[in-house]
Amino acid sequence: MPIEAHQTQPDRSSAQSQPSHDTLQPIEIIISFILRGGVLLSGGIILLGTLLYFLRVGGVTATPASLKAMVFPHTPGDVFAGLAHGDPESVIMLGLMVLIATPVSRIAVSIVAFALEKDWRYVAITSVVLLILSISFLLGKAG
Amino acid sequence: MDHLLVLALFIAAVSVIAGAIGSLLGLGGGVVVIPILTLVLQIDIHLAIGASIVSVIATSSGAAATFVRDRLTNLRVGMFLEIATTIGAISGAFISGLLLGNALFIIFALVLVYSIYPMSRRMIAERRLSRRQTAAEARPANVPDEQPDRIATALGFEGSYYDPAAKREITYRLRRVPLGFAFMYIAGIASGLLGVGGGIFKVPAMDIAMGMPIKTSSATSTFMIGATAAASAGIYFLRGNINPVIAAPVALGVLVGSLIGTRLLERLAGDRVRMVFIVVIALTSVQMFLRGLGVHILGG
Repeated sequence: MPIEAHQTQPDRSSAQSQPSHDTLQPIEIIISFILRGGVLLSGGIILLGTLLYFLRVGGVTATPASLKAMVFPHTPGDVFAGLAHGDPESVIMLGLMVLIATPVSRIAVSIVAFALEKDWRYVAITSVVLLILSISFLLGKAG
Repeated sequence: MDHLLVLALFIAAVSVIAGAIGSLLGLGGGVVVIPILTLVLQIDIHLAIGASIVSVIATSSGAAATFVRDRLTNLRVGMFLEIATTIGAISGAFISGLLLGNALFIIFALVLVYSIYPMSRRMIAERRLSRRQTAAEARPANVPDEQPDRIATALGFEGSYYDPAAKREITYRLRRVPLGFAFMYIAGIASGLLGVGGGIFKVPAMDIAMGMPIKTSSATSTFMIGATAAASAGIYFLRGNINPVIAAPVALGVLVGSLIGTRLLERLAGDRVRMVFIVVIALTSVQMFLRGLGVHILGG
């Protein structure tokens, strides 16, 4: 993905100073905020969980094979139950859940934004994407 | 390396390097981090894919935040095509669960080989760009004699962005939407199957198939990668393929590495450094292919 980063970074200031002809401007600000906020929040939680984890487990040995056999919470229910016990693995998993939820929230908020613009075609299109993501989570639980 | 903390710190360190090389070459961190985790650290490829896919969400969302704010992303096109990429990602995650590690190594090797072409193309394009700055984006987005696409018109697929090099607003209209949509489904499969962002498939789906300017294609691809990866990451998470001890250092490491890559390395590294990395990627693809055939060279 950083192709773009390279090509566009020097352009930022000038792109911003341009007057906007786009009706999507408010959506763009909100989406940008959600994406950045989600990454920062999840990164913070993951970092906290990792520090807590190593403070607690200390000098455990590990091999690639033992990592494969490792047991850890991997459903939202288990993660929240683990958090109630102050389990550091669950803190890391919570951070990862926030990360996965970041693009999902961006989609959910876009539906509202398109609805406020009365752009019903895109309310429908974006709802379909949200529905597909919801189905993926249900399928993941089943399989 | 039999101490868990040492292993985690090592994973974090190689992830920083992978993220930096990935952003330098215009690939995501995933394409670089998975070979290191599997070939060097002997981590199970399914766990490596699970760890990589969450790092993909982090790096793409971070970068997308900037492109969306700067109006380089075409939100409508991105959201429409996400229907295809998310369905593809679900398909990919399920196929991945059914395949043996060996098959995944071989498919990964083929994708690495394919990624060499756009990397080299980008290097050549940049060299030209530095010679003639103003020529950027001079290529017309639409072939003049082509009729406006009915589907593209119905979906409102047109847009514009400000190009500082050309010092004007560039407007574009799209065509061949069904072709781009089909391509996006394949891009989604690749992402879900291998735990990578799949920008190397998404960008040509818009740029070559639909006639979108390259800058907007790249920004829109980055935007779509997060939603695509979320679809398969949810499946990997619930399936227990996202191990916190691997995923945490990979996600944090690749994110930090990609920031280093865009802020520092791209300013410092010349073409020769990039050539070296491209050769390394080529050699890695050979390694991954051999591992798929059951031949172990690195690390036994």
